[in-house]
Amino acid sequence: MDHTKVRVGWSQVVVGSLVAVLLGTAILAIFCFAPTEQTMGHSQRIVYIHVPMAWLGLLGFMVMAVSGVGYLLRRNLAWDHWLQTCGELGWLCCSLTLATGSLWAHEAWGTWWEWDPRLTTSFILWCIYAGILMTRASVEDPHQRARISAVLAVLGTLDIPLVVMATRWFRGMHPVSPDMDPSMRMTLFFSVVAFTTFFAWLATRRRVQIGLENLATQLGRQIEPQANLA
Amino acid sequence: MAEHFWWIVHKDLVSEFRARRVWPTMLLLGVVVGLVFSIQMDLLPGQKQRLVGGLLWLAIYFAGMTAIDRSFTSEREEGCWDGLRLMPVAPSTVFWAKLVVNFVALTALEFLLIPLFFVLSDVPLWANAGRLLLVACLASAGMAAVGTLVSALAAGIGKGNNLLVLIVLPLVIPVVLAAAECTRLIAEGRMGEPWWRWLQLLGAFSVVFLTAGSLLFEYVIEE
Repeated sequence: MDHTKVRVGWSQVVVGSLVAVLLGTAILAIFCFAPTEQTMGHSQRIVYIHVPMAWLGLLGFMVMAVSGVGYLLRRNLAWDHWLQTCGELGWLCCSLTLATGSLWAHEAWGTWWEWDPRLTTSFILWCIYAGILMTRASVEDPHQRARISAVLAVLGTLDIPLVVMATRWFRGMHPVSPDMDPSMRMTLFFSVVAFTTFFAWLATRRRVQIGLENLATQLGRQIEPQANLA
Repeated sequence: MAEHFWWIVHKDLVSEFRARRVWPTMLLLGVVVGLVFSIQMDLLPGQKQRLVGGLLWLAIYFAGMTAIDRSFTSEREEGCWDGLRLMPVAPSTVFWAKLVVNFVALTALEFLLIPLFFVLSDVPLWANAGRLLLVACLASAGMAAVGTLVSALAAGIGKGNNLLVLIVLPLVIPVVLAAAECTRLIAEGRMGEPWWRWLQLLGAFSVVFLTAGSLLFEYVIEE
């Protein structure tokens, strides 16, 4: 049985509040501290959300693969819970990357979508995330689900170099490390740190929730035969 | 080990030649897709050369998946899978044997579709046939590696077979993309550094997928 420890107390409230303050400060910095870009105007501020989302989309996948390897070696479902957590959050971040990128592209390039190498590879990453989550949904046995997800996560991670190196290997429209004002760079860095912390906090919360769901399912399976006998 | 390997390859190829269940469908689908694409290619010769690589490899992918999809499903349907699992054979041997059968199927498809595409798109083929053969071998190996692994996964799920095409394409996209670019450059007659870089990328991904498939297969076939 999975002995998930659930602690909901002042520590969670304090940590949650700190994360909220950090995120709030990042949003304030995006709109008040970072200067307005000369060419694109206020729409350039999308970058401060887009870049952290893209980073977290990749981070989510890498943690998924590590969790997958952890499950295959240890056969502990706790690793699979981390895999599911990072899969869901990573997919969300990947979706937000595509959405914010599309908004930015509309302002910068005059089109909502372009089959640029970076955009295409990001879309492929989104498809792999979606494929893994859909496959998980079609398998009922927890250990079979964990094993299949782990294999697909490890296999999918092999495509990560293509996503990361897309702008260097192929010619495209997507900017590569553009020159930025130091205050813009600082805001971007702070935004990445704040959103990564928020991601980590959400991941721990979701991980506890999945653990509880798993515990409730196991208890239900234990109680059901006794109820039938009675 | 080599004996078991050849035994599995022989069994799969002989059963396919006797029953003709998958290959005719695969080859026919490939031709139909090729003809449909060629109808859409009513372009100037230069434009055809730019399109032929992508369309060719998409046709090979979609038609090839019909054969790869069946490589483990047929074993499960006829109860052969339990026999294979009871045999004292390393999982990697089963993986490599199935991979070779899928590689042969894809190669047969390519022997039909590559000349067809090059004839329909008026692109000279024989000038660079050797290079094209190299691209085809590397791409078939990469596609067969991922396809074989995911096919075994899908057969294990049972009802998840329809997910095969959906999952394999995003996973195998580096191979399809590199093969398409190599073919486009061959069609355009540009054999310089870009072609060599795409070929290196194709080779690297194929080797990585072959290694990963061989290592992960043991976990895929557990029950």
